[in-house]
Amino acid sequence: MRLFQARSRISRHALPWVVACALSFASSLPASPLLDSDRPEYPPDTTELDSQARDCLRCHAMETLAYRDPETGEILDLAVDPRLLSHSVHGEMACTECHRRSYRRYPHPEQAGRETFSCVGCHEDDPEDATYQFLSIEEEYARSVHVAPGASEAEDFSCHSCHDPHVFRVSRVGKEIGQVVRDDNRVCMSCHRELTDPLDTTHAWLPKRDAHWASVRCLECHTPPSDRAERVSHQILPAEDSARDCVGCHSSDARLLNRLYHYRSQEDLARKGLIAKALFNEAYVVGMSRNPTLDALSLLVIGLTLLGLTAHGVGRYLTYRRRTNRQ
Amino acid sequence: MKGLLRVPSWSRIKPVLVVSLILAFLLAIAYKTLYPLLFKAYVGESTAVLTYANSHELTETEFEQLARDLTEQARYRKASEVVEPDQHPFARQVKLEILMNTPSFVRETEPSHIKYFREAGIRRYEGPKTCLQCHATIQVEHADGTRSRVDTLEDIVNSVHFKFQTDAGGFSTYGYDGRKVNAIGDRRIPVGKIDRACGIPGSFTWTGWAALIEGRPESEDGEPGEIELRSEGCGQCHIGGNYYPATEKMMPIGDVPEQAKAGIDCLICHSSEYDMNQRYVIRDQVGLRWNQDRSLRAALTVGPVSNRNCLNCHQHNMGGDAYLHNVAAQSPGERHPRVMHKGAKRGNPFSPADDVHAAAGIQCTDCHVPEGHKIPRGRFGVDLVANDLPDKDVACEGCHSRAPHNNSKHKALLNGHIARIACETCHIKKLQENNVVLRDWVHPTWNAKEGLYEPTDVYRSGEPGKGFTYLWFNGNGTFLANALGNNPNGSADYNPLMQQIARIQDPEVIAAVRAKAIELKETYPDIDVEAYVRAATDPLSQLSPEMLERREAMIQDNLRAAMNEGESRIYPFKLFNAMMYEDMSNQGPFGAMILPFDYTTYYETGDTRASLVEALKDPILIRMYQTPFKLYMMDEFMAYFGVSGGWTTAYPLADGRLGNVEPHWMRQMGTLMVNHGIQREGRVCRDCHAPDGILDYPALGYEPERAAELADLDLIESVDWEATE
Amino acid sequence: MRSLYLYAGWVRLWHWLNALLFLILILSGASMHYAGTPWLLDFETAVTLHNTTGILLTLSWIGFVAGNLLTDNGRHYRIRFRGLLDRLFEQSRYYAFGIFQDAPHPFHVSAEMKLNTLQQLSYLGVMYLLMPLLLLSGWSFLFSVYLPETLFGVGTVWIVAMTHLTTSYLLVLFLLVHLYIITTGETVLTNLRAMVTGWHRERGEPQ
Repeated sequence: MRLFQARSRISRHALPWVVACALSFASSLPASPLLDSDRPEYPPDTTELDSQARDCLRCHAMETLAYRDPETGEILDLAVDPRLLSHSVHGEMACTECHRRSYRRYPHPEQAGRETFSCVGCHEDDPEDATYQFLSIEEEYARSVHVAPGASEAEDFSCHSCHDPHVFRVSRVGKEIGQVVRDDNRVCMSCHRELTDPLDTTHAWLPKRDAHWASVRCLECHTPPSDRAERVSHQILPAEDSARDCVGCHSSDARLLNRLYHYRSQEDLARKGLIAKALFNEAYVVGMSRNPTLDALSLLVIGLTLLGLTAHGVGRYLTYRRRTNRQ
Repeated sequence: MKGLLRVPSWSRIKPVLVVSLILAFLLAIAYKTLYPLLFKAYVGESTAVLTYANSHELTETEFEQLARDLTEQARYRKASEVVEPDQHPFARQVKLEILMNTPSFVRETEPSHIKYFREAGIRRYEGPKTCLQCHATIQVEHADGTRSRVDTLEDIVNSVHFKFQTDAGGFSTYGYDGRKVNAIGDRRIPVGKIDRACGIPGSFTWTGWAALIEGRPESEDGEPGEIELRSEGCGQCHIGGNYYPATEKMMPIGDVPEQAKAGIDCLICHSSEYDMNQRYVIRDQVGLRWNQDRSLRAALTVGPVSNRNCLNCHQHNMGGDAYLHNVAAQSPGERHPRVMHKGAKRGNPFSPADDVHAAAGIQCTDCHVPEGHKIPRGRFGVDLVANDLPDKDVACEGCHSRAPHNNSKHKALLNGHIARIACETCHIKKLQENNVVLRDWVHPTWNAKEGLYEPTDVYRSGEPGKGFTYLWFNGNGTFLANALGNNPNGSADYNPLMQQIARIQDPEVIAAVRAKAIELKETYPDIDVEAYVRAATDPLSQLSPEMLERREAMIQDNLRAAMNEGESRIYPFKLFNAMMYEDMSNQGPFGAMILPFDYTTYYETGDTRASLVEALKDPILIRMYQTPFKLYMMDEFMAYFGVSGGWTTAYPLADGRLGNVEPHWMRQMGTLMVNHGIQREGRVCRDCHAPDGILDYPALGYEPERAAELADLDLIESVDWEATE
Repeated sequence: MRSLYLYAGWVRLWHWLNALLFLILILSGASMHYAGTPWLLDFETAVTLHNTTGILLTLSWIGFVAGNLLTDNGRHYRIRFRGLLDRLFEQSRYYAFGIFQDAPHPFHVSAEMKLNTLQQLSYLGVMYLLMPLLLLSGWSFLFSVYLPETLFGVGTVWIVAMTHLTTSYLLVLFLLVHLYIITTGETVLTNLRAMVTGWHRERGEPQ
């Protein structure tokens, strides 16, 4: 049973990594990473943008355009990075194609208020659904912890809580994995700031928590295993359903295994001392020394040897009988 | 093989052991006795047991009287905060008295140390010795939440407040040779305020530590009056009570002598009743040093460090001595009153009257959160002042977040500016009027009222564009305090070291300088007014064409990278330049080694050359011009200074005559960060976004179209019009 | 009938102890390695059992080495190089062909040499090469903290794990062959009895 569990984890954890490299949706926060060069192109080239967008950007290009919402006390970011916008899939659209027309004036009229947007609303008949699977994303999303019945934030949550439509662009092949992890995790952490509280204990069980956070996407553990190779599920799991099985990741790759074992050994030694460590060695995890090739090869050799020995024995017996009969 | 493994016999170990023990013992003796003697011979300074007249034993009765006075004072202060002021004065008085005598109130209000001293039988304050009886070690809370226990005396002796220099890294200062000061991998030298090549000659703390000056104040009708002794020197603001600064800490080995440690003034920072009138220069058989308040009264009122404590010294460099609300300056000394500096160093006071944080009761240590006796000054440092905690932030964002504006209808737009504009740029609209921009040390002016010669402030102003300017700043600075940064567009044209801070172009300022030059010519007929104005307002004109060329190349090759680093924002910078004597044998494209004055000669006679000669005789200056010092630190120092070829040890004084010495203005103005004197009401759109706004966009490296767009008033007007709709 | 006292008491004791430990280690090791497979021990028990037995095996191995150094049992393990290849060939030919034809045993047990050359070489390999590797890798597992994290760019724990695994498979292989070979004495039980009683008995005179 345990074995089985580990196996399934391996496949599901190996996949997202591939996916992350191949197809990463640029999710985004104000301090978005630079696109290509080290130095930002400044002032940004906005010639590809809609002329109306350029007007809006006079203010909204300010990197720190934001205010504190008097109702929630949270800082609302209003900045749109012109460089990222012009490279995004929505870059050629006029702002008012999505936003209310009354936003064209400044100060913006109060009644403009909050707007609601839905990706599927526009993308429902999208011929590209086959590629991007908006409908199945919507299904997964509906089961996500953020909007599932009883979720406290469900009302305010939308696609845009995580995905900034001003930045969104498809597949950045070749992006460095570390950057993918940082970008993706920044999205989660922008709301889940409580996790950075030094007194927070939600991930205390996770050894070397910060190292994990720096090199593993939150999604790896907080989404269900998916058979889809091209993207990670949009069903974000609640804490209790999320992966907690170390070996799931730490046996698919010898290097990961090594780290885990080392960590647990240190823990063990510190807690129990040398002798107890030698006797009980709690650091050993199931399957950690497993090597399918070696196992198969060894079992084969052992099998053949047994076969050979049996044959030898039978041969001896037969010749013995022949000898005794002859006598 | 066997021979090697054999255990040596005791008879063979014994002599080796004995010899090494004797050697160690001798070394220890030499270090304890010989080294101080050698040190004294080398730097010409010596110390003795420091005594203070106001530190004396109180009798039991005196102690209890004092305790009662202090409690009563404290109770009255606290009770008046509680009892409503809006009532009949007599009724209020009665209620005050009732409250003041309520047992629980008495218990909670009594200064805590009265009880401690009473129980421990302490009836005399003897400096650090008394404090350390209980506070030998303290717990330090670090920024990351960890705690450690440190030796208190060790902690303070190694803090910038005591030694005011460091040979550690952590500087955000770049030498003109392009190297970060004391960077990892470089040979580190002691740098900081103790040896900073700064525009103020008094910064040679060895020659300017403590001076007693005979002032001859004239009566109103011009009659010379009686001689009045005055105190002056850097030691007034530094916590060591010795006869000289903590020079020992600059040497490769050796510790500060115990006597000097016993002279540390704990109470100036920790007592709420510290009497600044005790801060004056005294002379004893060894020499001159600064007196301090060691009364039991001050000792009994120790408590958490409050603004008053910090401002005892720091209002001097913020609001200035002449600032109306400078409390310490109101107590200049019961004897030998301190010479007050009329021009302000920064002119941005921290007091409830002029700073919104001070008015809100915010404490200095709320932003400058200390770790033990190490106090952070933030990651941004334009000058060469040492920083105890260079990695610790002191920033507006720490409290105000990145969306600080909540009041205005345009709050989002205001917040939008933060990416490019520092908070100070809008919230410091003016400095004090007496903010000094140009100071001439070479041509002093007679102050009849005080009976002293003072350096002449050629130009003072607190106005933007005049007394301070706006520059891009990324936290880096040069060795002579010039803010480094660049327009985020990576402009190659933004070059303050050749433009803004190397040239004064405002006609009003030039006219004011000319008027002052004409006035000075009355006393100093040799002055060529036009040449004087030119040198003061265009200091680059003092450089030879080759030097100028080298300067431009050094800026491009050595400083550009440090300018383009990180994220720059526009900050306000107080401008400052001074005319001083310079050692022309050690000149580079950014300035020459500045020479100090002897305060006594300077203030008493106004003879600046004689004053310079006197200062040059100081042993440590003689040492400075010798090879060991050259190799130990001066070569490196000059490399940072932008002077190629190392330190030239040609001592500028030969047979009592000055050698290769000339008076000059520094080749560019120094820029000092201003972060206090914050006003709630910031600047309005039009102050900047107008053709004649306070920001010179082209000079700040904006392309012409963008500059025009930013200075465009129409847009602002349309916004305002809609807003009032 | 020829009788030789070949196996001293301590050798026999050690041998059977070793055999027992080996069996336990194989069972518990397999239980850890293939945890979850039915009819194996449960994981926690297996770990403790394996580690304890491993420690005992180490002690027993040390005892074996010490015994060989201190007593004359060690002489059986001294390789005689002269004619080594010939003897090996002879022995192998016997197992491959001669044994079926009731050919004479090419090796004669004597007080000086109780092991035939093939036996001697395999025992030497097992006791002085595989066993140390097995024990060392086992201990390295327990105290990997004190080892460098990587060796030649590969995780040390992985190297240790693979070494342990490979040697244990090889030793299982040895055990199987060993078990079979002991049946090839004069009678099927000759060798087994010798290890129990210490006496090597052969009925007839060598043919």
